[in-house]
Order: sequence, then C-alpha cells, then structure tokens
Amino acid sequence: MALAVDLSDVEKTYGGRVRALRGVSVQVNEGEVFGFLGPNGAGKSTLVKIMMTVARATKLSGTILGAPVGHKPTLARVGYLPEHHRFPKYLTGRQVVEFFGALAGMERAARKRRASHLLDMVRMEDWADRKVGTYSKGMQQRVGLAASLVNDPRLIVLDEPTDGVDPVGRREIRDMLIQMRNEGRTVFLNSHLLSEVEQVCNRVAILVQGRVVAQGTIDELTAASRRFEIAIEGEPPAWWEPLGRVTRERAPGQGLDAAPSASRLVLLRTEANGGQASIDRLRAEGRTILFAATVRESLEDLFIRAVADPTTGVVSAPGATIGGVS
Amino acid sequence: MIQTMALFVAAYRELNARKLFWLSLGLSVVVVGIFGMFGIDQTGISVWPFGWSFDSPFFNSNVISPESFYKLMFMNLGVKAWLGLFATALALISTAGIIPDLVSAGSIDMMLAKPLSRARLFLTKYLTGLLFTALQVTVFALASFLVIGLRGRVWEPSLFLAVPYVVVIYSYLYCVCALVGLLTRSTIAALIVTAIFWLLLLGVHSGESLINYGTIASSLEVSAIEAELAKAQADADEDPETVAELTEELASQRSSDATWHSVHWWVFAAKTVLPKAIESLNMLERQLVVDARLRGGLGADAEARDETGGEIFGHGRVERAKFIEALRADENSRGVWWVLVTSLVFEGVVLSIATVLFCRRDF
Ligand SMILES: Nc1ncnc2c1ncn2[C@@H]1O[C@H](COP(=O)(O)OP(=O)(O)O)[C@@H](O)[C@H]1O
Ligand SMILES: [Mg+2]
Repeated sequence: MALAVDLSDVEKTYGGRVRALRGVSVQVNEGEVFGFLGPNGAGKSTLVKIMMTVARATKLSGTILGAPVGHKPTLARVGYLPEHHRFPKYLTGRQVVEFFGALAGMERAARKRRASHLLDMVRMEDWADRKVGTYSKGMQQRVGLAASLVNDPRLIVLDEPTDGVDPVGRREIRDMLIQMRNEGRTVFLNSHLLSEVEQVCNRVAILVQGRVVAQGTIDELTAASRRFEIAIEGEPPAWWEPLGRVTRERAPGQGLDAAPSASRLVLLRTEANGGQASIDRLRAEGRTILFAATVRESLEDLFIRAVADPTTGVVSAPGATIGGVS
Repeated sequence: MIQTMALFVAAYRELNARKLFWLSLGLSVVVVGIFGMFGIDQTGISVWPFGWSFDSPFFNSNVISPESFYKLMFMNLGVKAWLGLFATALALISTAGIIPDLVSAGSIDMMLAKPLSRARLFLTKYLTGLLFTALQVTVFALASFLVIGLRGRVWEPSLFLAVPYVVVIYSYLYCVCALVGLLTRSTIAALIVTAIFWLLLLGVHSGESLINYGTIASSLEVSAIEAELAKAQADADEDPETVAELTEELASQRSSDATWHSVHWWVFAAKTVLPKAIESLNMLERQLVVDARLRGGLGADAEARDETGGEIFGHGRVERAKFIEALRADENSRGVWWVLVTSLVFEGVVLSIATVLFCRRDF
C-alpha cells in the first residue's frame, strides 16, 4: 500500500535549545486513520507543523503524498486544522471556509458549493452567515474542520480537533473522522484523548519527549499484553500458583469498604483456549465462575506504559528536553 | 490569481471591519469639500453657503484667477498638509495592523499550509496596505479634481499625479512599519517606531538642508575672499597689511569650510541611504507646478523673497542672488534619480529583510 506520509529521522530544535523532536520516523498508509499520541509537549504539534511547512525542521527527510515535505503545490491536496486556531472575528463562518478554499486555488463556484456542503456536514448551516466572533469554541472547531476539508484533500491533518468540544460534539467529530476514512481520505490525528483514538484509528504512534516509542496497529502494540482472566468467588485454589498471577477483589455489587470475596486468576498465555482446562478444573471443584475472557491492555494502559520510564515506572514530566543531549 | 484576489478581499474585509479606514476616507472628502466652500470673486474671499465674505486687496479674482486660487489651495493645503501629513498618518494608523495581525492571528498556520509561497503571501499583504492608501489618495485627488473643475472652471487631470507620488512616499514609511510589525507582532510598536522613523527623516532632512546652506555659503565666502585677495595682490598700492589680513582670513575660512564640507558629507551620506520623503513631496510639487501650472500668475513670489537683505550665515561677502543661484543648482543636481532611486533602494532592502525573516520564521 502506498504511504500517504513517510517521514524519517525528523529533528527539530527550537532556538538552539529546546529539542522538540529527536529523530522521529512516522509512516502512514493511504486511506487509514492514524493516531499520533503523546503527552503535552511531546512534540506532536511540532511534527505536524513541519509537515505543513509552518515550521522548519532542523533535519528532515521524507515525503507527503509522494512529494518531498515543503513542496507547496502538494499542499493543494492536503487539509490542515491547527490547534488553537482563531479565525478573524469579523468574518462569517462561510467566508472563512470560502477564503481557505480560494487560498487552495479553488474556483469561485466550486468553493461556494463545497463550503455550503461542508457547513451542512458540520451542522453549522444555521450559523454559517453569522460572524465568527459570536461562535462558541465548539462551533469554531466545526468551522475549522469545514475549512480544512474545503479543498477536498487526500490527506487531512488534524491537531487536537476535539479540543474544547463538548461530548456530543466529540462524538460527531469522531463520526466525521470515520466518514472521511470511508471517503478514502487519509487522516492524521494528533490527540491525547485516547478513547477517541482507540475508537477510530487503524494505527497509532506514541511520541514521548520527541521520540516515537511505539508505532503500529493497536492490536500489534497490545498483543504482548494478551492474557486470559478468570474471576471466581472465594479464595483462589492452591494449584493455581504455578500457572499465573492472582489478584483478590470484591465481587460485583459489593460496596467499596467490603472485604474482597472474589479472586481474579490471570493466565499469562496468549492462546485463548489456554484457560479452558483451568475452567474445567474449577467447575469440577464446584467453584462459581463470575467471568472468563481473553483480555488485552487498553490503549490507555499502553500509553501510560509508554510514557512511564521502563525501569523506574515514573511518568516523565511534560515538555521537551531543554538544552544538553540525552 | 485566485489566491491574490482572495487576499485582497480578505484585506478589504479587515479594513472594513476597522472603521478607521472609512473615517479617513470620509475625512479626505470633507477636506476637499471645505476647499470647495471657499470662493473667490472680484472683492475677496467668500464662504459658501454661509454667505460670509472677506474683502482682501490680495486675494481677489483680479489678482489671482479662481483657477490659481484652487490650485494653490490644493497644493499647499491639500498635498502638503493633508496628503503629506494627516492622510499619511491616518493611512498608517489604518494599515499598520495588517502585518502584525497576519503573524499573530490564529489563522496564519492555516494560510501557510496552503499552496502559495510565503514570500508571495507576505508581499501581497504588504501590497494591500499600499493599495488601500492608493485608494484613499485617489478619492482625494478625484474630489479635488471635481472641486477645481467645478469651482475654478479648469479640468486638471495632472492632479492625479499625487496618487503615485503619495503612495511611493507612503511606502517608504510602510516598509519600516511592516518590518517592525513582523518582528514585534504589535501594531502599536510598529506605529511608534514608524512615527519615530518619520521624525528622523524630517530631522535629517532639515539638518541636511541647514548644513547644506551653511556649506554653500561658506564655499561662496571662500571664493569671495580669494577674489578679493587676488585683487589686493594685483594692486600695487594696496597696503601689505590688508593683504596679510586677507590671507589669514582666507586660511581660517578655508579651514572652517573644510569642516562644513566634512560634516555635510556625513549628513548627506545618511540622507542618501534613507528614503527622501520630503524631497519626493517637493518633486510632486514641482511636477504639478510644471504640468498643472499651479503657480499661475504667482511666479513673482520667488523674487519677492530675494529682496530682503542681511547676512547669510554670518558671511557678509556672499551675495544673496549668487547664494540662491548656487542653492538652485545644488537642488537641481539632486535629480529624480537620487531622490527616487535611493529611496526605493532603501525600501527594497527593508522589504527584502522582512520577507526573508517571514520566510524563515517558525509559527
Ligand atoms: N515556537 C516554539 N519555540 C520554542 N519552543 C517551542 C515552540 N513550539 C513548541 N515548543 C516546545 O516544543 C515542545 C513540543 O511542543 P509541541 O509540539 O507543541 O507539543 P505537543 O503538541 O505534543 O503538546 C514543547 O516543549 C514546547 O514548549
Ligand atoms: Mg500540540
């Protein structure tokens, strides 16, 4: 499959001191929703700005839609929604969308048609002809989405699109992302909101302090954590000890201060049927099984694990490394 | 082309949102309207529609034709005071924000991520600033054209020469305004620095003029002493003491002349580097005088001024007529090339610096 974004070894040092990116390589397949995750200050926006020619990399090689980064004509086929954008207050939403269409080189009739369509799609049809100054944060974000889609882009790059949007709006934006993918566009999504990424992204990369620490499908990244869990009532059987871990927990429905009355038996084996023999044995002993399933790490667990220092388990402070070499 | 148009339209909307633009456009028309209210007849000046009239032995249509009267007003009040000062200030105030708003507003990222080069984006924004100034001056020139035509009964299309001149003069200031606006992202800072720069230009201009007068007068004095000395030496009857005195005086005058010249050299160098706003405005004036015969029957004023006697910079020997002749010659030696080209070179350099900075900046 062709790569929509193929960057290797991108470095960015701000002002000679702030090392925002320290050799980042990212590959995004055409037609997928790619989640670019990382804590605040990891350098997500910096990478996106470099892709969009808004900032200049200290070191860079790579392509976007097959053209080298910085090739301006290619940007006619790219959409971009920056974080913290603010449109001029005196323009209406429609004027904003049409203006960016014109900057992308669209003919007047085409951009007018497309703007109307997109403003309907982001459900701003009633507000389209009012001034941006009267919009709420969520409405500005919707207009921004419309503006970034106006040139019918092959690749659309969104930097924290759900920032400041209420839960209903978030769900709508998520649906729009899925729709974009269904239309065959490639979506590059910067976010620190893991649940939304988990629901829409095919592949993710996790950026920590200017380095990509994990990249792949969520399945691939969480495969190592696959395990079989059985929850039973009462004490764990003695014979379980060599097979796996045990955690004591409260049975469902018990109050927070109740003593643990159930056990969770964790079988660290990747095959799903690995637990079947144990279930048979537990049932033969007459124990009540509350739950049995193959479980894998959530994206959040993966994220926390990626962000934390592997030896100390300490989650690193936000922001890039300042000065020095590390 | 689509992109450039879009930027122009965006700039129009921006200026439109800032009421100041309309205010200064309106003021331009009001100023010309006030010109039109004054009428001149055989007895003196009248003010329409109030019916006031002031009898005057100098300002009446027997002395000055209505045509000259309006042209005089256009030149002295309209071009020098209004366009050269107030309208330029208003234009600066209404367009100073264009570049700072471009680089600080939250949509610069999205504009940079479009398929148009940064240099083009920046220079187009710069041009929009000039374009709107041009619009203001055009409205002013048009209104003046109508007033002079309707009231003075003469149609003078060369008044529109004011448009390119004033825009060029404005651009000397606006390039500095754009550079500072880009660096500081602040409209206020851009305005303050531009105002200081403007004062600096005025200061250098006045200083240079004054020093130039002094230098010319001093040179003339040297030649006068030389001539006197030569005459004294040739005359056998002359007291040798007078010759010695003259020789000494010549030596001291020569050394002070050398000082004048070296000081003038530096000031002149500074002036050559800087844009020449006042000279450019004077050039417009001269052009209008030639093309539109703006002085009309008033050519006598120059001679009238020459009649006042007295010393020139303390040099008793220099004849006023010669001094003025030398000044004229000096003024003419500073041709269009020196005034416009060196100014435009300055503007080009400032603009290139600003463009390069804009192209290299991270947003
Ligand atoms: N223009 C800038 N000048 C200096 N430092 C910057 C600039 N922009 C970002 N940084 C720094 O670079 C690091 C990465 O920032 P950013 O890319 O915005 O992170 P993220 O989007 O992942 O939150 C941060 O430490 C931030 O302070
Ligand atoms: Mg960010």
